[in-house]
Amino acid sequence: MTERVSLSHGSGGRQSQQIVAELLAPFTRRGIGPELEDAALLPGGYAMTVDGFTVSPRTFPGGDIGHLCVCGCVNDLAARGASPDFLGLGLVIEEGFSAEELRTYMESAARTCADLGTVLAAGDTKVVPVGGVDGVLITGCAFGRVQTPHPLSLGNLRPGDHIVVSTSIGRHGATIAASRFNLDVVGLESDCAPLWPAVRPLLALDGLRCMRDCTRGGLGTVLCEWAEGSGVHVALDEESIPLSPQVRSLCDVLGFDPLYMACEGCMAVAVDASQTDRLLALLRASPLCGEAAVIGQVTGGEPKGMVSMRTLIGGERLVDMPTGELLPRIC
Amino acid sequence: MPGDLRAAVEALRRLAEESATAVTVMEVCGTHTVSAFRSGLRSVLPKSMRLISGPGCPVCVTDQGEIEAALSLLRRGVVVVAYGDMFKVPSASGSLASMRGEGHDVRTATSAMDALRVAEENPGREVVFLGVGFETTAPATATLVREARRKGIANLSVLSFHKRTPPAVEALAGAADVQISAFLLPGHVSVITGHEPFRFLADRFGLPAVIAGFDPEQILLAMVEIARQIRAGAPELRSVYGTAVRPEGNRKALGLLDEVFSVRDARWRGIGLIPDSGYGLRGDYGDFDAERRFSLVIVPGTPPAGCRCGDVLTGRITPPQCPLFRTACTPLSPVGPCMVSSEGTCGAYFRFHREERT
Ligand code: SF4
Repeated sequence: MTERVSLSHGSGGRQSQQIVAELLAPFTRRGIGPELEDAALLPGGYAMTVDGFTVSPRTFPGGDIGHLCVCGCVNDLAARGASPDFLGLGLVIEEGFSAEELRTYMESAARTCADLGTVLAAGDTKVVPVGGVDGVLITGCAFGRVQTPHPLSLGNLRPGDHIVVSTSIGRHGATIAASRFNLDVVGLESDCAPLWPAVRPLLALDGLRCMRDCTRGGLGTVLCEWAEGSGVHVALDEESIPLSPQVRSLCDVLGFDPLYMACEGCMAVAVDASQTDRLLALLRASPLCGEAAVIGQVTGGEPKGMVSMRTLIGGERLVDMPTGELLPRIC
Repeated sequence: MPGDLRAAVEALRRLAEESATAVTVMEVCGTHTVSAFRSGLRSVLPKSMRLISGPGCPVCVTDQGEIEAALSLLRRGVVVVAYGDMFKVPSASGSLASMRGEGHDVRTATSAMDALRVAEENPGREVVFLGVGFETTAPATATLVREARRKGIANLSVLSFHKRTPPAVEALAGAADVQISAFLLPGHVSVITGHEPFRFLADRFGLPAVIAGFDPEQILLAMVEIARQIRAGAPELRSVYGTAVRPEGNRKALGLLDEVFSVRDARWRGIGLIPDSGYGLRGDYGDFDAERRFSLVIVPGTPPAGCRCGDVLTGRITPPQCPLFRTACTPLSPVGPCMVSSEGTCGAYFRFHREERT
């Protein structure tokens, strides 16, 4: 049992899984717990998700916390093939916070919603004394209709399936890291974007197995969860993973592995290999997914439940689920 | 795979075939360790060539007693500023991360100068920078101390656990029970120190020593160079790092180190005391020495029961040979620093190594 919550419990890797399981135990014990997917599929063909956002800095190249919150919720729904019909927003605001700044975030959240046809259906604001929260904490809840004939799930992967990413990886995490560590990387921008319009056409493919937006923990974490969830081996090819030179150089400087850098506008997709070409063509029709690429394949081999990667220099290595916060190396 | 890489792998294979002997290369630096794993380089090496990790992960070689000293400062209400990689290292009474979880004031630094800012922003509190790392990070700590004096910042001091690479390498080259055929030396240390401090490897021990950068291409080139020297029976110190390493090193950084630090014996976790392998603050910078300011007595730590980090750090065993590896010791509940540090050998084996896990 965890004694105290640490930042590593929030980093999306192994420890996050652990604390989530502990916190859900009272529900799972009673048989009323959720499945551990991006969004829940509800009876009647509905889907629902909740996601909380604090980010420092709150405005970053490529977006701000308002836009980020909407994208995060919408992408969770999209990953399960559901349209972003309704949104609820809960704001916890620190006393003294600039109202002007808040309005900016609401403006950008509203713009993103309007583009998607998402309606703000409910909301709540709380103000807490100084120190009660760091500036502002925004929690979004999104609700929509499932538009796939069969449920997409991380348990669906089968040997032979292709793994696709919709765009180059790690841009959000790298952007935030760059501003936290005061590194100026020219041309680096968060990928923060709503993916529903891009993935909606994919839902017609009956070979579509699973989708996941690679947020905290990055692509690497998502694929580890898939391999575990389906009990299969996933083989990646490093050379084919789209990676911008900016993300690559930032990771080099800080000693980070781009596979674990957060994305906010990148979908990982598993698809029956016979439909890969069709899927890529559909994805690439979206301006957000021009770099979509097949990056690996599910195999029937060993090690089951794990991900391995053929590296740029032709070697092999494991891709493990990360543990702990991403911290820059010392030298 | 790019053509020049393929050529290098091919060259290595040919050289390995020609000289029948098994070759064990120690990579001194933790960044080399991780790069060799992450890039899959280890898996393309010829069977007769082996890379083993050395004592070059700054977090791993910081003695338990030194971490305890930092924790004791936190308990006295001091603000401790440390490189992020230090946070999770377990010690007898906790870690910087667990202390932060209990409400103590620990801050992450990406550069030593961050500590100056923290001290300026908290004039009413004592701020201590935890100086760890080798010749690469020591100059930044020296700059910090000099700046603190120049600006007259009285609430900042430094706990200097900086270590010098050459004495540790020398200790290993001379160790009777570790068979090392050659050394892979870190380019970024050599940028500071220059070539000279490592020449003894070829001159006195007859060992090839090649300085290389961190990317897999450089490591491969270095391995080719090592194999070539071994086949020719002509060990020497060479650099494949290009022009960044000047044979005389970085005079400015060396001058700075000289001005602020004096060389002293240092305790390496799991290895023990190595003469002249550490940097302590010079007497005339004594005001900024946290050991003095807080009258700290640093008691050498005993490694956690069963942990064989010392043997891992000296190449005597590989992590899977430690009985705790992957059983009692995992990145989630690390027993030793070699499992917890992002550059630690045990952690690298755990994360990237496949054979042992199937
Ligand atoms: S596996 Fe764990 S216990 Fe064993 S040497 Fe490595 S860090 Fe120490």
